[in-house]
Formats: sequence, structure tokens, C-alpha cells
Amino acid sequence: MRNLLFSLILLLASATQTYGAVGCDLNDPDRDVARLFPGSTGYKTSYLSIAQKGGEALLAKVEERLGDKFHGLYETIDVPYTLYDIYQGKQKIGYIHGVNQKGQYGGIQVFLALDLEGIIKSFYFQKLTSKFGKQLRDPKFGQQFVGLSLKDFYGYDVSSGKATGPSRVEQIKNPAPQAEADFRAALRAVKKNLILMDEFVLGNQYLKYFKPFGGSSR
Amino acid sequence: MINIFQVAYKNLLRKKARSGLTIIGIALAAWVLVSLLGFNRGYESSLNKDIDNLGFQMLVTAKGCPYEAATLMLKGGTGLRYMKQEIADSVASQPEVEQITPMLMQAVFDPNKGESGGITAYLGVDPATFPKMKSFLEFKQGGWFSDPNALEAVMGYEAAELEQREAGDLLLIPTKNVELKVVGVLKRTGTQDDGTIFLPLKAVQKIFGIKDELTGIGVKVKKEADIAQFEERMYRLPDVQVVSLTQVKQTIMTLVSTAKVMVFSIALIAILIAVVGVINTILMSVMERIQEIGILKSMGATAWDIFKLIWLETLILCLTGGLIGTAMAMATAKLTEILVRQLLPYAPSGGLVQINLVLVLFTFGVVTLIGLISGIYPSWKAGRVRPLDAIRSQVE
Repeated sequence: MRNLLFSLILLLASATQTYGAVGCDLNDPDRDVARLFPGSTGYKTSYLSIAQKGGEALLAKVEERLGDKFHGLYETIDVPYTLYDIYQGKQKIGYIHGVNQKGQYGGIQVFLALDLEGIIKSFYFQKLTSKFGKQLRDPKFGQQFVGLSLKDFYGYDVSSGKATGPSRVEQIKNPAPQAEADFRAALRAVKKNLILMDEFVLGNQYLKYFKPFGGSSR
Repeated sequence: MINIFQVAYKNLLRKKARSGLTIIGIALAAWVLVSLLGFNRGYESSLNKDIDNLGFQMLVTAKGCPYEAATLMLKGGTGLRYMKQEIADSVASQPEVEQITPMLMQAVFDPNKGESGGITAYLGVDPATFPKMKSFLEFKQGGWFSDPNALEAVMGYEAAELEQREAGDLLLIPTKNVELKVVGVLKRTGTQDDGTIFLPLKAVQKIFGIKDELTGIGVKVKKEADIAQFEERMYRLPDVQVVSLTQVKQTIMTLVSTAKVMVFSIALIAILIAVVGVINTILMSVMERIQEIGILKSMGATAWDIFKLIWLETLILCLTGGLIGTAMAMATAKLTEILVRQLLPYAPSGGLVQINLVLVLFTFGVVTLIGLISGIYPSWKAGRVRPLDAIRSQVE
């Protein structure tokens, strides 16, 4: 039996395979969907990527709306994003969508539960490696995002970590000032998450509010 | 004066289409034979190389200790057993051992991984021996540790991808609150190394407060050593378990041998088809020229002369077919490899179809032998033709 097991491992080890970039899935969708979307009765999963939905042109557009380039080895055009359509009976009531984000000490996975209009209903750090993880994962921190939409995040510059002009994002308090890098990473992840949802699912209904930093709205 | 080779050659040219088709048949058989033998050779050698590339053929662990990070995580990060450093020294002193590499695996519970926390495992390796043993590991970024005591990490590709780490980034060991610098990210290997976070052995011992204890020893055995005997001795060591990849190699080689039988069966069928085709062609040719053979004999040609002539025709057909088939196999080796890779989901890395001079000469030898054997009956039949009967058959 051991020989057989090792043979299989070895065959798998010697396999020539093709690999894609890592996505961001809920660890336990049945449990997590019920928790993030109280009242939901089911969900459907689909996989989307920038490469598949619009390629380089879409990537450039997303980067422009984000106010930052996609960078590093892992934030690439072919990252598969997992979208959970949430149902109550037969009626769709919202979405859950997560993104990976580089944090100070490790990968951060930020999931958002959104209603059909793209308003945040709940915020969830599925994964976070930080000396101040406890404070950042405190439900009170996540509650600050509830009710916000992409419109609120347009005024937030992910590069400088500052809001340009009055913004509800500016009011989000960092529960651990020593973990500023992870706090900013979380905000960037949320903004990226909302932009991707607008592009992939919401039909760019928030595009009209977008104005590049230093420019006017479209 | 015209010689027997020219006569044979001219005879074949008289029925160009038939001779051409026979040559194509032989060429296809030779092509199949060379390709199958080349595949057999390439597959076996690539598989051997892949097994050798695993680094060490034997892993010695403390009895009951999980030897893979995945198993450790399944056990919730518990169940680690330790063995003393002396065991490593004792294993290293065995005559069959070329080199050993000591390892220490540790795991921590990360409360911020998922909703209810998760386990992260770290493998402490000896910077002096581990990289040499796993020489097939390649870096996507950076390299191995700068110092045996350094608080540095080398990450397998998937571990780095999950943690979004690149060379130069920081990595935190949760609960210990120890910061590590990522100095290297490995390329994908398709093995468990992809999900492993490697640290210098001494750093792991220091961070986790474990002195002179190990969870595993990788053992590379000398090529000429009697591995079975050495394994038996290792199995007798108290409080350790031995996981040997030699057994795996033997199991795989048994599977490969079974595949080999199938490969040779197909090659044999191809050869048999070619033999029957050649006999049929030459026999038809003999029957058509029966009067001509009769006249040759009446002019003084002996049975041996006729036998030689027909036999030579067979040989020319086979040698030409063999030459074309071998050339085709060599020219299409890459294409064959691509096709085989499409058909085999788990093909080893490296050249799958390896055709060398020995293989070409062997195939050429086999094809010549086919020619000689399949030419015997038609040549013998032609040699036995009685001139009078032959000429009379024309009159009739």
C-alpha cells in the first residue's frame, strides 16, 4: 500500500503540468456564505479573470480606476477571481467576492459581501498574517466598511494611503496604528475588489463617479 | 558487364509501384520500431532521472513522526517526534551512505488563518547539504540562505504565492512573532517542496528552542551500494522509521516493464506485418517471372544463382525501407514526443523519445534480418523452378 501511495506521489511529482495563478476562494463556502450573508439559502460559484473578461485593455482600465498598477509576481492578469452569487430561495440577493493582497508579513485575503447595488454588507479577512492580526480582525474594524460602495473609495488614493477630499473612507479608523502597512493593504484590497465587481458584474454602474486623481468625473 | 546487384535493382524497377509500396510498408514498420524503442529508452531514462532528482532515496524519521508538511497539518500541527543528532551521525557513518542531510520540521498555529485559525509548517534544512542534494531546485527569485544561522526563508512557489511573498519581503512566524527575510522563491517543481517554507536548520532550532534534535534525515546512497541490504539494516534501528524511495523506484520500474512488454508486442506485430508483406511481394514477383527464371536456368544459371538474385532483391527492398523508416523516426522524434505527452497525462520530464546510433544500427540490423528471413522462401521457390516446366507454362 505504501509503495502504491508513493508511486502515485512520484507519478504526480514527475508530471508535466501547467499552472495558473492562485485565486481566492472561501475556505468553507457553506459556513462562510451563511455567516456573511444572513438569510441566504444558497449560492452559485463562478470564476472570472481580467484576462478572460477583457485582457490587457481591461487591466489598464482597472489599474486606472484603482490609481495603482498591478505589481509583483502574483497580482497578474490571469488571477482567477471566485464570485459567489447569493440566493434567497430563487431570488438573487447579492454577491460575495474576495481578492488576494500583499500584506507586510504575508498574503491577505479580503472578502466582501455586497448587495445587488454593490453596497458592502460585510467585510471579512479570511487570511491575515500580522503582529496585530487580532485588532484588525476585530468585527468592529470590519463594521466600518458596511454601507460603503465604490463611490466612496474613488476618493481614496491607494498609493499615498490618503483620501483626496471628504470621504467616508477617511473615517475608517486603523485599530492598530503600528500595522499601518496592513491597514492600507486592506483598503487597497477593498477598492480593488469593488472595482472588479463593478467591471465583472455590476455593469460599470460606478464608472460615472470615477475621476482620476487631479481630474474631473466622467 | 552487368553484375547481380544491377540485375536485382533493375528487376525491382520494372514494377515501380509495387516495389515502392513494399518499401513504404517496411519503412513504416522500421519507423514504428525505432520510435517505440526510442520511447522505451527515453521514458525509462527520464523516469530514472526524475527519481534521482528527488534528492535523497531514503528518509529516516523518528517513529510515528509525520514526514510531510501536509501530514503534519492534517494532524493539526501535533504529533512531531524527535530523534537525537547522534542518529544522524550514525547513519552518516554507514559505508553505503554518500551523504545525509538533517531536517527539523516545526509547525505553529496561526489564529488569523481562516475563520478558526490554521497551521503553518516550517522545514529547517542544513544549508551545507540540502541544496546539494536537491540540486534540481531552481529559483524564480533570489537564492539560498546567506548564513547557516540567518533568520531567512526560502519559499516553495505555492507557499510564496499564498503568502504573496517575493525575495526581500518579510515573513512572520505567528505566535513566535519572529520576523524572517525571504531570500528566495523557488520555481514550481510539482512536488511537496512547492508548499514548503525552508529555514536554516540552526535558525529553526533556535526559534523553537530545540537543541540537537531532528525530525528527519535525508539519505543519499552510493550508486554501487547494495540498497536492499542497507535498508534492512536501517529498518532494524530502534525508534526510527525508514521511508525508502528505492521501493518506489522498483514499483515504478515493474510498471514500466509491463508497459515495455506491450511496446515490444506492438513492435513485433509491425514486424510480422512487414515480413508477410515482403514475402507476398517477392513471391508475386517470382510467379510473374517464372518463364524468365526458366530461360535463365536453361542458359546455365544454377539454383543458387537464382536464389541469390531473388534474395538480393528482398534485401534491397528491406534496406531501402529500413533507411527511410529510420530517417523518418529521427526526423519526427520531437513530434512523436509532443503526441506522447498529449496522450500521457503524467509523463516524466526530459526527452521522452531518445534515438541514438546504437538504436538506429539495431533497427537496421533487425530490418536486414527481416529481409534475409522473408526472402528465403520466395528465393528457394524460384531456385527450384525447372526450366522446361517454366517455358512450357508460357506456351500453355
